[in-house]
Amino acid sequence: MTGSLTFLGIESSCDDTAAAVVRHVPGQPAQILASIVEGQTALHAAFGGVVPEIAARAHAERLDHCVEQALAESAVALADLDGIAVTAGPGLIGGVLSGVMLARGLALATGLPIVGVNHLAGHALTPRLTDQLAFPYLMLLVSGGHCQFLIVHSEHRFERLGGTIDDAPGEAFDKTAKLLGLNQPGGPAVQTEAALGDAKRFAFPRPLLDRPGCDMSFSGLKTALLRARDAVIAEKGGLTVQDRRDLCAGFQAAVADVLAEKTRRALEVYAALNPARPALAVAGGVAANTAVRARLQTTCAQAGVEFLAPPLRLCTDNAAMIAWAGIERFRAGDYGSADLVARPRWPLDATAAPLLGSGKKGAKA
Amino acid sequence: MRPNLVLAFDTSAAHCAAALLSGDRVWLKSEAMEKGQAERLMPLITELLAEAGKALADITAIGVGTGPGNFTGVRISVAAARGLALGLGVPAIGVTRLEAMAFGLPRPVTVVEDARRDEVYVQRFDAGGAGVAQIMAAGVTFTGAVAGRDGLQSLPIAEAIARIAAARAGTAQPRPAPFYLRGADAAPSSDPPPVILEA
Repeated sequence: MTGSLTFLGIESSCDDTAAAVVRHVPGQPAQILASIVEGQTALHAAFGGVVPEIAARAHAERLDHCVEQALAESAVALADLDGIAVTAGPGLIGGVLSGVMLARGLALATGLPIVGVNHLAGHALTPRLTDQLAFPYLMLLVSGGHCQFLIVHSEHRFERLGGTIDDAPGEAFDKTAKLLGLNQPGGPAVQTEAALGDAKRFAFPRPLLDRPGCDMSFSGLKTALLRARDAVIAEKGGLTVQDRRDLCAGFQAAVADVLAEKTRRALEVYAALNPARPALAVAGGVAANTAVRARLQTTCAQAGVEFLAPPLRLCTDNAAMIAWAGIERFRAGDYGSADLVARPRWPLDATAAPLLGSGKKGAKA
Repeated sequence: MRPNLVLAFDTSAAHCAAALLSGDRVWLKSEAMEKGQAERLMPLITELLAEAGKALADITAIGVGTGPGNFTGVRISVAAARGLALGLGVPAIGVTRLEAMAFGLPRPVTVVEDARRDEVYVQRFDAGGAGVAQIMAAGVTFTGAVAGRDGLQSLPIAEAIARIAAARAGTAQPRPAPFYLRGADAAPSSDPPPVILEA
């Protein structure tokens, strides 16, 4: 496949319903002709987290509208497409299934090939969509659902150096916001408060820093925050605005410290490959946190490695990355399969030891 | 004008069922299964078309079962119907399982269908139209004719959906949406936020 390719991408693995059209001509940067993302924040706000059934219900009734909008905005007709790429996992199965069935219906009706994309591969290949980054590069995927270091060797080979053994940092930010009475999503709210707080007032743990390797843990940090909050409440009967700012600052500093140190270690492993253009790319909503980002930039500068952060709309969940991953796979000879199935569990690196959810169903991500 | 050909399917319960309706001719395919409908639905449709000697391009409307029933099963069919409709440029029309069960039966009739959890879905249909669909305790009894649950035999569900969709195809229809009848079973967060003190 050497000519121009135009793909429709479909994403519905968490709480964003998304469709996009991406065109790529070999030797040129890819063009995002349209990228529609319809969030569900308001639907889940009352529940303090994403409710899978509510998410699935919204995806099932919104996906086709998003696809139509993406086609209209890009002025691309179904007949102009070369293929359909859809997130086939990992993620919340109800949403993934809705996306896969919509895509299979479209593919059957149009005769277009359908490529099932791993959601994490979508994030991991985004630096090639935005910056034509050459393999191999180091990827830190850090979001509300995931946290892992990957060496991206090719469009289908991802080597996981480590990741969280429990919660994702984004989840911890959301939980922190909830415990402190701040709005969801927690990331921006906690960041705003933290900017006015004293990070040194509360001593929070830096989990797993004492152990070698790149694995991380954020669950204990959540508990530590709850204890610190309750200690203040026990003393004063509530939190002052400054207490809250200091708790946010302490929590955020702990997350940034852990990510920076684990990134330093991951860069050491990556450096052994002698890459021509050494680079760390980040993806996921937590990569938008300015304190985390500043620490990662410093770590990269010290290691002499380029730091790359795609624009936020391509860092968080979107369908342009799915369309792009579909194009990359298609060019590599994966022409998809009409009998595509949804996979709630689908680790990118099947050879690495499971971090989460082992057992007979296998690793989660 | 090409002749009408309605494709209908349903995966709202422990089956994967599809029908093609062309005038008075009906082709049916239904398989019992607890799971695996997502994998089976498209191949089943392809096989049904082949048996009927029809092509996808011959389809003029799609009918889809919207439940109530298994949430995931309902979404499988509704999402597939929306994708097919978009790809073929034909309307997709939602038909509830209770409407399908009442189809063709003498009215008035009360449709009673198993809703699991010791409950039943209930809807009354009379000459004037349909009453409100609701969930009741499984032990409830009804006077008059009952369909489902030891009562009158309904048409195969995919055929009934096809016939209802065919009748509606001439008029503007909303996109098919799942008819859950049950809430999402999510409880708002129970922990109250902390008291924020005036500085």
